[in-house]
Amino acid sequence: MTNLEKYINAFTTTFGIGESEVEGLEYQQIKAWDSIGHMSLVSAIEDAFGIMMDTDDIIDFSSFEKGKDILKKYDVEIESV
Amino acid sequence: MDQNIIKKCLAASKEMRKDVIRMTYNAGNNGAHVGGALSMIEIMAALYLGVMKFNIQNPTDEARDRFILSKGHGVMAQYAALKQIGMITDDELMTFKKNETFLYAHPSMNPEKGIEFSSGSLGQGLSLGVGTALALKRKGNETSGVFVLLGDGECNEGSVWEAAMSASHYKLSNLTVIIDENRLQYDGPTDDILSIEPLVYKWNSFGWDAVSVDGHSVEQLLEALSVKKDKPYAVIARTVKGKGVSFMENNPYWHNGRLSQQQYEQAMAEVTA
Amino acid sequence: MIDFTPSNIRMWSRLGSCGAFGLAALELPAIDDKVVILTSDLTFFSGLERFKSAFPDRLYNLGIAEQNMVGVAAGFAKEGFTPFATTYAAFASLRSADQVKVNMGYMKLGIKLVGLTAGLSVGILGATHMSFEDIAVMRAIPNIVVLSPADCAETVKATLAAAKIKGPVYLRLTGAMNNPSVYKEDYAFEVGKAVTLRDGSDVAVIATGTMVYHSLQAAELLAQQGVSCRVVNMHTIKPLDMEAVNAARGAKLIVTVEEHGVIGGLGSAVSEALAGQAHRPPQLMIGMSDCYCHAADYPYLLEQYGLTGKQIAEKVLISLERKQ
Repeated sequence: MTNLEKYINAFTTTFGIGESEVEGLEYQQIKAWDSIGHMSLVSAIEDAFGIMMDTDDIIDFSSFEKGKDILKKYDVEIESV
Repeated sequence: MDQNIIKKCLAASKEMRKDVIRMTYNAGNNGAHVGGALSMIEIMAALYLGVMKFNIQNPTDEARDRFILSKGHGVMAQYAALKQIGMITDDELMTFKKNETFLYAHPSMNPEKGIEFSSGSLGQGLSLGVGTALALKRKGNETSGVFVLLGDGECNEGSVWEAAMSASHYKLSNLTVIIDENRLQYDGPTDDILSIEPLVYKWNSFGWDAVSVDGHSVEQLLEALSVKKDKPYAVIARTVKGKGVSFMENNPYWHNGRLSQQQYEQAMAEVTA
Repeated sequence: MIDFTPSNIRMWSRLGSCGAFGLAALELPAIDDKVVILTSDLTFFSGLERFKSAFPDRLYNLGIAEQNMVGVAAGFAKEGFTPFATTYAAFASLRSADQVKVNMGYMKLGIKLVGLTAGLSVGILGATHMSFEDIAVMRAIPNIVVLSPADCAETVKATLAAAKIKGPVYLRLTGAMNNPSVYKEDYAFEVGKAVTLRDGSDVAVIATGTMVYHSLQAAELLAQQGVSCRVVNMHTIKPLDMEAVNAARGAKLIVTVEEHGVIGGLGSAVSEALAGQAHRPPQLMIGMSDCYCHAADYPYLLEQYGLTGKQIAEKVLISLERKQ
C-alpha cells in the first residue's frame, strides 16, 4: 500500500465513507468527523504510519489536505494524486 | 360538582384536624409542626378524597397519582389523610414521633404506606415532581398526575424556581403544584422575612398556569384541581396557619408547638364543634 | 459492543475522561433500556455530542441548575429508570450536596452522578472549578458507591459498571485530554476490587484516578534506587477493598496518592480502615494540601502540588529515610 492509499484508508474506514468523498473533506463537514471521530482518525493515521502526533498537530489537522502537510513533519510523505 | 365528594371532604377535614391535634398532644413535650399541618387540611382532604387516584390494595400501582409532600414538616396532615383512606391505622397514627415509628416528624419514603419520597429539607420536592412527571411521560403513562405540595415560606428556596423553570420548559402538563400560602414562616410573616408575593404572577412568569383559591374551601380546591391544563399548573391556596384553633390561628408561635392538657382540650373542643 | 483494542484505548485517552465517558454512554441503552442521561448545560463538555444525536429523547438538559438536576434524576430513579447526571465534580459534590444526601444517601435512589474534571485538570479556571473536596463529601454520605477510574479505558469500564449497580453511584473523572494510559489492553474490572498493578515489598502505594499512572512512574524511579514498590489501583473508594488495604500492611511504608485534598479522600479512607490495627506501617498521604492555589494549567499545578512521578518518588524516599 502506498502512503496515499494508507492515508485515504484511514479516512474511509474511520468515517465509513467512499474513496471519492475524502478529497476536500473538512472537520465537522460530515457527521462522522466530529470531535470523537477526529480522535479516531488520528489513532487510525498513527497506526497506519507508526507515529505519535503532538497535540498541536492534532488540533491543526482540520482537513484531508491540511493533514498531508502535517504528516510531513513526521517524515510521512503523501504522494500527490 | 358532586355534593357527596364535598361532604366526604368536609367530614374528613374535621376528623383530620382532630387527629392532628391528637398527634401533637401525643408527641408530648417535643411538640409538633401543628400550625402548618392545620393550614393544609382541606388541601389534603380535597386531594385524597376528591382528586387523586390510588389503590389501597396495591399502593405502588403504576396507575396511581403521585403525591409529593415538599413541605415535609406538615406531614401530620398527610398521615391523617392516609388514615382517612385506610392506608394507615389509628394505632399507627398514635406512634407519630415515638421511637421506632415509621411516622417521622418529616416523611420518610415508604411506598407501601403511600409516602412516595422522604422530605424535610425544603425546596427539593418540586424537582422530584419534575423528575417523576418526566419519567411518567417517558413510560407512556398518560393518566397519572403528579401533585406537589409546597409551603409559601418554602418558596424562599432557589431550587424551587430551578424546578419551576424546568417544568414549564418540558411542558409538564401532568404536574400540579399546590402552595399552602399561610403567609407565616418560622420567624414571622413571610412579608417580613423574605417577600415572596405575588405568587400567582411569579408562577405565571415562570410559564405556569396559576390560580388563587381559598385554601380552606373544599369546593374551590376541588374545582381548581379538576381543571385540565396543557401546562404545569400552580394552585395557590390562601390559608390560615393554625386554622381551626383560635389560639393558634395566624400565630407564628404554633409553627412548632406543644400542647398543655388544657390547650389540648380547648383545641379538640374547637375542631370538633 | 465497545472494544478495548489498543487503538480505541489510545483514542479514549486522547479524548480525556469526559470524552471517554461520552463514548461509553453510547453503549448504555443497549445494556439497560431504562438509561437516561441528565446534564446541566454540559452536553458537549460531557462528551455527549454523539449520544445526543443517537438518542435525542434520552438526554435531558436541565440547564445550569445542578440541584434541580439531582432532584429530577431522583424522580426518574424512583420510577424505575437508570439516570446518569453530569456536571463538574465541584458542583456535583458541593452545589447539590444536600440533594445528593437526601436523594442518593437517605433514599438510596439509583442516581449515577458523574463528576467531571475532578482534581486539578481545569485549574486555570480557578478554585471554583477545581474539585478536591468531592471524595470527602461523597464518602461521608452513606450508601453511595464512589468510583474513581485510573484512566480513560477504566472510565469506560466504570461507566458500564455503574449502569449495572442498582443503588446510587458517584463516578469521579480526573485528568485532561491526552490522559496517560495505565491500561493498554483489556482487563478485568470489578467494582470494589482493587487492582495490584505492580508487586513490591518495601513500599505499598495505593493510588486512585490519574495518580495511578504517576505512582507507577514513581515506582519505576524508586526501583532504580533499590526500593521495591507495590502499586495498587484503588478505583473504588467506597466500598473500600479491605483485602487490598490489609495486604499493604506488610510493607515498611504505606503511601496513598490522589488528585484530591489530603483531608477526607482516599488517604483518609485507608487511614480510617487501618486505625484499629496494632501493627501497621506509617502512612505517607500524598494529595493536595489544605489550601486553594493560584489558577494555572494542569501540568503546572501537578508540579506545584508535588504530584508528578518524580516528586512522589522523592517524597517516598524522604519518608523512608526518616523512618530509619
